[in-house]
Amino acid sequence: MRKFWIVLSYELKEYFSNKAFMGLTVFLAVLGVIALFFPRFVDLSNFTGVKIVGGQEENKPSNEEKDVYLYLDQAGVVREEVLKEMFPGVFWQKASDEAALLAAVEAQEAEAGFVVTGTTTYRYYVFNRSMTDSNTAMFDQAMQVFYRMDYCMTAGLDYGQITEMYHVPVTADVQILNKDSGRNFWYCYVLVIIVFMLIVYYGQMIAVSVTVEKSNRAIEVLVTSTSSNSLLFGKVIAGAIGGVFQMGVLLGAILMAYQVNREQWGGMLDMFLYIPVEVILAFAFFGLGGYLFYAFLYGAMGALVSKTEDVSKSSSGLMVVIMVVYFFSLVQLSNIDGTVIKVLSFLPISSYSTMFARIAMGTVAPWEIILSFVILVASNLGAGVLGARLYRMGTLRYGNPIKLGTALKDLKKSE
Amino acid sequence: MRLEVKDIHKKFGEKEVLHGISFQVESGKALGLLGRNGAGKTTTIRILMDVFHANSGEILLDGKKFVPAKHRIGYLPEERGLYPKRKVVDQMVYLAVLRGMKKGEAKESAKKWLARLEVEQYRDSKLETLSKGNQQKVQLASTLVHNPEIVILDEPFSGLDPVNSQILKDVVNELIAEGRLVIFSSHQMSYVEEFCDNIAIINQGEVVLAGELKEIKKEYGRDRLMLSAEKLSVEELAQKVERDWQELVTVQERKKDFLVLALRDGADRRMCLEKLAKSDLVVERFGIFEPSLNDIFVSKVGE
Repeated sequence: MRKFWIVLSYELKEYFSNKAFMGLTVFLAVLGVIALFFPRFVDLSNFTGVKIVGGQEENKPSNEEKDVYLYLDQAGVVREEVLKEMFPGVFWQKASDEAALLAAVEAQEAEAGFVVTGTTTYRYYVFNRSMTDSNTAMFDQAMQVFYRMDYCMTAGLDYGQITEMYHVPVTADVQILNKDSGRNFWYCYVLVIIVFMLIVYYGQMIAVSVTVEKSNRAIEVLVTSTSSNSLLFGKVIAGAIGGVFQMGVLLGAILMAYQVNREQWGGMLDMFLYIPVEVILAFAFFGLGGYLFYAFLYGAMGALVSKTEDVSKSSSGLMVVIMVVYFFSLVQLSNIDGTVIKVLSFLPISSYSTMFARIAMGTVAPWEIILSFVILVASNLGAGVLGARLYRMGTLRYGNPIKLGTALKDLKKSE
Repeated sequence: MRLEVKDIHKKFGEKEVLHGISFQVESGKALGLLGRNGAGKTTTIRILMDVFHANSGEILLDGKKFVPAKHRIGYLPEERGLYPKRKVVDQMVYLAVLRGMKKGEAKESAKKWLARLEVEQYRDSKLETLSKGNQQKVQLASTLVHNPEIVILDEPFSGLDPVNSQILKDVVNELIAEGRLVIFSSHQMSYVEEFCDNIAIINQGEVVLAGELKEIKKEYGRDRLMLSAEKLSVEELAQKVERDWQELVTVQERKKDFLVLALRDGADRRMCLEKLAKSDLVVERFGIFEPSLNDIFVSKVGE
């Protein structure tokens, strides 16, 4: 055990004395914090809907701050007050003719232009149409309102009464007794992606660091100085701590910065960044467990090759498993209490994302959480011991990458 | 301490590469493992170090099973390698601590060995920035940093220039004088001859000759004489000896400056001396021939 700690502290020192590693960690964390402090200093009201002026919120932008839209009413149906109500961020102006409207849009003096050619037809002019452009959908609704108003007037009906009847307000008092999947879905989604990134990025780093010892021939000195268990466990756990530290600093900084600036963001990032403590704890235990499990396997894959450029070849099988689990986990988030996700939440290859998603969004009994975690811990030990044996077996086997099947057969033979 | 290697067999797949290697060595003495490339020296050493497992045979230390992890062993592998991107002193201390030393002692010892091998100015440099010779010296310092009781050096002189070889020679002599058990493999006979009390010559996975070097030399020199004469080339002298001395000796070998003669059955050195006194040869050198280790090696493994 003493030797494990020696290897661990030596490898950790390597991570923490690495200027690039520490610099990147601090840089990303500072960048995240700055981004989240933005609404305090820069007006993002168009994006957040919240404007901080003298410490008080003001939701209504002035006409100068609004986008200018032009309209030309050839059918005599447009009611400007309706347009103003339906497009609150828009300053509406009437165009003298279609050519003037077109020229203004082309010169980008107006953001958009509408020429109403009949009671149910219109032309829409825009210079560059963005992917999120919803003007036509909104204007369709406005045209329907104009039509209904005309119809009511012609038929002698009271449009106000009919509208009131159609839109009678209903008050619902929602009492969520367990989980609010709608609210929890997005941060679960984000956390699954984060674990996936941790596994793939740092797993690859760990595999490379093992291979480097073979390629620089240090491995023979090392395996004759201590046990392969101490070496692989020390190396992998140091890599895992390095990854968790980097991601922890980054996530911690972002979550704290959001807490501080939540009001300024108008709560619009709650779905990603306002995560309950129990979900963070579940994420920490299961995410870390799954990450370590794959880190050991990556370490073993690194031991099967002797050149760093072969690492990706050696770990491609593992990558396929990770990808399949990743896609299944994301797809199954929308069916959180289904059989597939229940089964996946007990497998060590997938419990890191599926069990914590079930904890966040579904119904899960305490015994299920405990059993899944015990399986994950036991699998970690198994993966570590297997990895150490593959590492030991791979010592001094240079040349072509050793296939996993061949390595396992050789291990069996050597027993 | 007495280390005994007994009848080691090793297979790689279906191919047996060691066919019963045996030798022994004691503290305060050095054993030279000799052999051509691919003879099995490194495999034998790796089995000693538990890098490979033998298929059969045993290794004993003072009569008990030898477990490398339980002893302080300084091992310099044939495949040299440390961490190129890490500081020299950091990796030396790391290896010393891994091998059981306390950190403070390890730092002191690293300082001592770097100074002894004349590379102390590189203690805070990254290994990759050093020349190949200096990297070799750092590797040797890392091998000895934890004050090992057993020192195993696989081809320690390869890649060293004459000055660095001399430093290494001095270090090995000090280790022997301090009572360490030293094993080293080489195919550079002069170094082995200089340090080793015992040798084991391995050829194609078998020990073809093992024992005390002095005795082996004596045995190989027995009944052999050396002769050279003025105004006669080695070839002319050989023709003369074959013609006039055939009842006493045969010409065994033509060296650059002299002949090696083997006494025939019934002949002795005194008879040769009398014959020489009566001949018209102007003797340059005449005496007992002591073979070099190289002669013995070539006679055993040279095809």
